[in-house]
Amino acid sequence: MSVPILTCLTFLPLAGGLLLIFLPRDRVREARATALVFSLAALALALVVYARFDGATGAAQFVERAPWLGRGLNYHIGVDGLSLFLVLLTAFLTPVALLSSWRAVTDRVREFSFFMLLLETGVVGVFVSLNLFLFYVFWEAMLIPMYFLIGIWGGRRRVYATTKFVLFTMFGSLLMLVGIFVLYARANPTAAGPSLAFQDLYRLTLPPGVQTWLFLAFALAFAIKVPLFPLHTWLPDAHVEAPTAGSVLLAAVLLKMGAYGFLRLGLPLFPDAARTFLPALSVLAVIGIIYGGLMALVQKDMKSLVAYSSVSHMGLIMLALFALNFESTEGALFQMVNHGLSTGALFLCVGVLYERGHTRLIADYGGVGRRMPVFSAVFLIAMLSSMGLPGLNGFVGEVLCLFGVLAANKVLAALAVTTTVLSAAYLLWLFRRVMHGPALSERVLGLKDMDARERLVLVPVVALMFWLGLFPGTVLRKMDASVARYLELVRTKPAARTVASAAVRPVTPPPQSSGAATIVGSAMAEEGR
Amino acid sequence: MTGLLAVSPLLAVAFGALAVILLEAFARPKKAGGLGYLSVAFLAMAAVLGVRSWGRDYSGFGGQVVLDRTAVLLVVAIAVAGVFVALMSLRYLPRRGMDRGEYYALLLFAVTGMMIMVSTTSLLVVFLGLEVLSVASYALAGLRKDDPKSVEAAVKYFLMGSFAGAFLVFGLALLYGAAGGLEFGRVWGELGSAAPGPRTALWAGMAMVVAGFGFKLALAPFHMWAPDVYEGAPTPVTAFFTVGPKLAGLAVLLRFLEPLGRGDGARPILFWLVWAVAALTMVLGNLGALRQTNLKRLLAYSSIAHSGYILVAVLAADGAGLLFYLAAYLFMTAGAFAVLIAVEGEGADGGEIDGLAGLGRTHPWLAAMFSVFLLSLAGFPPTAGFLAKFYVFSAAVRRGHVVLVVIAVLASLVSVYYYLRVVVVMYMREPGAAAVEVDRENPALDLVLFLCLVGVIQLGVWPGNLLVLIRQAAAALF
Repeated sequence: MSVPILTCLTFLPLAGGLLLIFLPRDRVREARATALVFSLAALALALVVYARFDGATGAAQFVERAPWLGRGLNYHIGVDGLSLFLVLLTAFLTPVALLSSWRAVTDRVREFSFFMLLLETGVVGVFVSLNLFLFYVFWEAMLIPMYFLIGIWGGRRRVYATTKFVLFTMFGSLLMLVGIFVLYARANPTAAGPSLAFQDLYRLTLPPGVQTWLFLAFALAFAIKVPLFPLHTWLPDAHVEAPTAGSVLLAAVLLKMGAYGFLRLGLPLFPDAARTFLPALSVLAVIGIIYGGLMALVQKDMKSLVAYSSVSHMGLIMLALFALNFESTEGALFQMVNHGLSTGALFLCVGVLYERGHTRLIADYGGVGRRMPVFSAVFLIAMLSSMGLPGLNGFVGEVLCLFGVLAANKVLAALAVTTTVLSAAYLLWLFRRVMHGPALSERVLGLKDMDARERLVLVPVVALMFWLGLFPGTVLRKMDASVARYLELVRTKPAARTVASAAVRPVTPPPQSSGAATIVGSAMAEEGR
Repeated sequence: MTGLLAVSPLLAVAFGALAVILLEAFARPKKAGGLGYLSVAFLAMAAVLGVRSWGRDYSGFGGQVVLDRTAVLLVVAIAVAGVFVALMSLRYLPRRGMDRGEYYALLLFAVTGMMIMVSTTSLLVVFLGLEVLSVASYALAGLRKDDPKSVEAAVKYFLMGSFAGAFLVFGLALLYGAAGGLEFGRVWGELGSAAPGPRTALWAGMAMVVAGFGFKLALAPFHMWAPDVYEGAPTPVTAFFTVGPKLAGLAVLLRFLEPLGRGDGARPILFWLVWAVAALTMVLGNLGALRQTNLKRLLAYSSIAHSGYILVAVLAADGAGLLFYLAAYLFMTAGAFAVLIAVEGEGADGGEIDGLAGLGRTHPWLAAMFSVFLLSLAGFPPTAGFLAKFYVFSAAVRRGHVVLVVIAVLASLVSVYYYLRVVVVMYMREPGAAAVEVDRENPALDLVLFLCLVGVIQLGVWPGNLLVLIRQAAAALF
């Protein structure tokens, strides 16, 4: 491990961005190529990490530590089964998003590429951080590129949308910052001073009152990011106004940061307080599922339809996370990746259509399927993946989530199942209105099918959907040990953790490890019958 | 001999001021630019003299002047601020028809006053320095004799400053009467042993001193004069007002009020007064900035808000955090004002925010640097502003001031809105008819911009040695 591979992966995009600053302004093609090359290099590194990742242990791997500011504010990164696939997803979707904006973004391309690369560094940084301070730095820093991406290259109401996005997110994260100060003040002084490393914070014993306040502060920040109903109002605005590439990354990875925050910090740091609030949060998640689905049904704009479907799907992911059992947690993690792929693909498809028709209103289309057969097929697959059709990735995730929730609470599970009905309804209806029927306008008659570049963008995404749907084990197997370790953390009281975590360290794959795969297997067999 | 060494940096600056005046009077140069460079040289000399006395803790004049590590850091920071202001003024003065040597002399006198303030532990000497600073400041504010706004600023500043001075003197009198001396330690020591009567006089005296400082530093609710004065004064002078006096004054407040923040037990009324001043300053400063359409006024209110954040460090008795915040504040505010001077160009003072429309397209570098300074002022990582807030607020939480910190972060959420509004105008609006005329060929200003940018980013990402120095200084502070 002489090469600091995770550091390279995290900061390679930033290096590319700094290189771009010194490129002359009119070198548009060079700017695009540079950004693409650097993001592809990061993807290659991410694949190396995936290949070398050892699924047998739940501990963080590829760990790198370096002193930074001292007194616990150190550079400390690594990946485990919880973050590995989110890192991969980010590394995969950034070049896809860059490539998708080849024609859509023609104004200030250098700056656009610069901010995209900055965003990648910020998001990957959030996922690999193992120190709370470092986590927060990345968490906040990644707002800046997103702010510019929406604000400069967005739609008509971009300034309103981007300001709302930043202020909403900052509101939560500043209160979380106060929470971090409290944790920092209480961090056990080890031999080397206070420590903000996650592993040390997990062992902290906090009085119940403090835990409650801290949990609320952290949960607010993460719930806004997810977003959990009723804190979701920034999301439709941001999504509708963002450029396609921005929407893709926003939906696919930025929202996951909120869920990841719960997973990494909110629940394991304050398990007692979390247990108190979980029922309420679960109810909010269910409301989000149904509300998002119903809202999606009535949208006239394709992008806001996909945005509300995101609210609905993230609700299911959160509900599964809050169920706190093995299946639901694996399902939530798996579904995070799925949602990234399928929603990302849907946004890409809307982008393809928008580039041609210059409108996102559903009513302006109709009969597109005949003019653009390849596009129609891709759109269909993305939709079916989002709906959770067996054979595609969404099915595996949804089933795991719902099974897990069912084991925890039957009523909530029954309500959550509506997601399958609702998503089928709004997506199929969308498909019918856009793709079928007579071509209503001149606009549709002149549509050309996807060109080679657009296929290059979407085909890998579609291929991944099939891969994950048919071979979910490739992902689930690498998560098992980490998920078991995480559940151990959430279930045991912090006081007992010094012992527990020492015992857990040489993790043997837990007995449930094959459980998730078995459930999926039997469920698929049932479908087959 | 060590007495002379203890005052060597400020002697250098004072000599510089005298030299500039004499040269102006007798050599009668056509342009004052040369005198500007001369001032920079003297300021640099003061900084070098300061650095050379690092760790020697010179003191003199019966212990009235102390050049400890904290003083050295502050002296160097003040000298740097002076250099920045002098470099910003080099092209600005001739453009506005006020290319006179006395500007630099006044600047150097003001710097001398600040250096006096930070290198002492006696309130009387602090007052001495403060008055030297103030008199020079009144003159600086009114330097544009033909501009009614500038004259108004000078008069307002003078009246308010004298008023504050009266408060201070009265407070000092009470303290002297009750404690028999004006050294910080003596005043606080007397407080522990004095009978109820003198003790009341001591508390009242301290409250008066704090109020006087509140006026001078534009802390709420004594801040009303500040936006008008800051708007009316010539822009480099405004830059100086928002940076210099705050560096010196807040550092003095920390030294003086340190026992107040350190006390863990019962908190005296004075503590809650300062607490309320800090909270009010943060809230009113930020809310005031929300409505501004003028860049100079916006930055004026923002500087008020930042004094509030720094007061939090005073309340937490966090010397290291305060020094770090001051360093970060120096770079980001000076940088923002340097941009302001660049976009004012040949035009009138005090550009409107809307005038920046499309700057991101017409002058990408300038807009990018301004964005970095604004993001740092707003406290985004990885800039100096974030780390400064992190240190100060986390120290405050460690002392148990959670409510104050919650107010502080919510106030800074408000600040995010108005700082970003400037960024919106620069990047998300097309250049309009009212576009600014940008000053391009100004190497001195470019140097300031560059140094501030390096400072803001370096302090935010890798403060390394400075952090070590600051911690050493703060450890020896008390």
